[in-house]
Amino acid sequence: MTELELRDLRKTFRSRGRPPVDAVRGIDLALRSGELLGLLGPSGCGKSTTLRMIAGLESVSGGDILVGGTSVIDRPAQARNIGVAFENYALYPPLTVAENLAFGLKARRGNARGDVQRKVAEIADRVDLTGILDARPAGLSSGQKQRVSLARALVREPDVLLLDEPLSHLDAAQRDTTRRELKRIQRDLGHTTILVTHDQEEALSLADRIAVMKDGVIQQIGTPYEIYDSPANLFVADFVGEPAINLLPGTVTDDGRARLSDSVHLALPVPVTQGREVVVGVRPEDLSLTGEDGLPARVVAHEPLLEAGVATLALDGVERPLVVLTGPEVRLAHDEQVRVAADTRLTHVFDAETGELLR
Amino acid sequence: MNLRKRLLGALADLALILYFVFALFPIAWMVILSLKPANQLFSTYFSFTPTLGSYRTVLGDSEGIPFVRFFVNSLVVSVGAVLLSLLVGLPAAYASARWRFKGSENLMFTLLSFRFAPELTVIIPLFVLYQKLGLFDTYVGMIWVLQLVTLPLIVWIMRSYFADLTPELEQAALLDGYTRKQAFFKVALPLVKPGIAAVSLLAFIFAWNNFVFPLILTSNEAQTVTVGALSFLGGDRPKYNLTAAAALISVVPPLLLALTIQRYLVRGLSFGAVKS
Repeated sequence: MTELELRDLRKTFRSRGRPPVDAVRGIDLALRSGELLGLLGPSGCGKSTTLRMIAGLESVSGGDILVGGTSVIDRPAQARNIGVAFENYALYPPLTVAENLAFGLKARRGNARGDVQRKVAEIADRVDLTGILDARPAGLSSGQKQRVSLARALVREPDVLLLDEPLSHLDAAQRDTTRRELKRIQRDLGHTTILVTHDQEEALSLADRIAVMKDGVIQQIGTPYEIYDSPANLFVADFVGEPAINLLPGTVTDDGRARLSDSVHLALPVPVTQGREVVVGVRPEDLSLTGEDGLPARVVAHEPLLEAGVATLALDGVERPLVVLTGPEVRLAHDEQVRVAADTRLTHVFDAETGELLR
Repeated sequence: MNLRKRLLGALADLALILYFVFALFPIAWMVILSLKPANQLFSTYFSFTPTLGSYRTVLGDSEGIPFVRFFVNSLVVSVGAVLLSLLVGLPAAYASARWRFKGSENLMFTLLSFRFAPELTVIIPLFVLYQKLGLFDTYVGMIWVLQLVTLPLIVWIMRSYFADLTPELEQAALLDGYTRKQAFFKVALPLVKPGIAAVSLLAFIFAWNNFVFPLILTSNEAQTVTVGALSFLGGDRPKYNLTAAAALISVVPPLLLALTIQRYLVRGLSFGAVKS
């Protein structure tokens, strides 16, 4: 298999009469052979543009793309041997599933008829399409379409596989099964893969490593645990995690705690100089309602979901509400007074000005 | 409630019937006229001895007017104009749907302006040009000038068909190793077939019905039915029965074409490759 490397990759869109737009501003990425990297970011962050540049569908403004150590930047899309599963599946409506798969193989001469059929049958078996080979795309479910689209990208035996929002058009039930399938297939075949998505759940569950992207710049690269446990900055902390992390601005006091309001002081995981403006980040799942010690808070709302509840609390004098994940057995009433405690080891503290994590 | 619904339905039916009478009356009048013998032409009663004599005369060339040739001319010129427009217009429509290049919008607008500028504004210079170039009263000349009618139609309608196709279909083909040309011929073109059928029919009808260009730019050799049918009105006595017969005969090709192509027309109007 093949490694993929991006070196200082850039893309600037220029159109007459409008200021140029820097969609991708110097991306460095290196994927090990067989690795699945999730490129995660909000829409408009440049992740799809990056994917299209790797595939050769978009010209490159600067930097280099190396597949297996060789620069492919001067090659057209036809000569890069990169497979893409498009977000909207891009299946050819008049052709059956089998014909759709064969269509890609027929582009290159030298694929004998028997070869084409053998390869189609092989990939259909791998991706579990054997029962629907004679169906047309219009008659398939979204999950099946996604699998066909994946098979279509894989049947040519590409060096690198690119997945563009593969699960975004699936309903919840199909998403779960397709996600498991996707992981199994990628493991089985061992393709070096980039998964582009705006859905953190998709990235966290599928990717070996995640690159979080914003405004054309990669904010952090790491394993899902690294991203979740020590977010590099406020953006990453806020973007990853559901319900979203609590971000509370405060000032560091002389005893090394963060003063969120006159009566609310929070211990910090690392020593920070006194007087520094910080933002304290605590995930809702790292907060707990306690009996006695802990900060006094008032219940603003409680959504009792089945497996857990989400409580919104107001801390005395603190403007931002505090979201806490509660156990399923917890019953809370509106305006009830509770005490809440944070696990200091799992608390993050960011510089208020730069947004960077303080370590 | 039910009664009210039925009453409304009946009223709607009545309105439709009135409209049909209004729309179909001229055609019925033409049919009657074409079946009347010459000596009963101006009788105001509907009782007359029907005869196919007018049709025989028109098709039989007996009045010294070569109607069959006009008919063939119309076919050659209209089909030729549509084919040429497809040949030039499909690539143009595709290019303008997929790429924005310098002046592309201006070019498209210019093309459209051929449709909303009245033909009469350019007919005199065209007449002079055609006389000098030797294009007057020729098939080539007529097919060429009809591009003003058929080309904008085909380019603009096909452009929206191509624009409706998601570009990913062609991009997937490129990634498979197909060339741009192959992506166009093997992926994009087959998907817009219903559109091509629909727009060809429309273009054919417009070309067939065109009156001003053949009136001024042809005299005999390349004259079409629209002008030719009027020849029966000349002479000492206007022969309305013959004109009516000629007009009705000239309705046949567009009508047949519309009926055979109807299937595609419906698909052409409700087409979408990828729902998103």
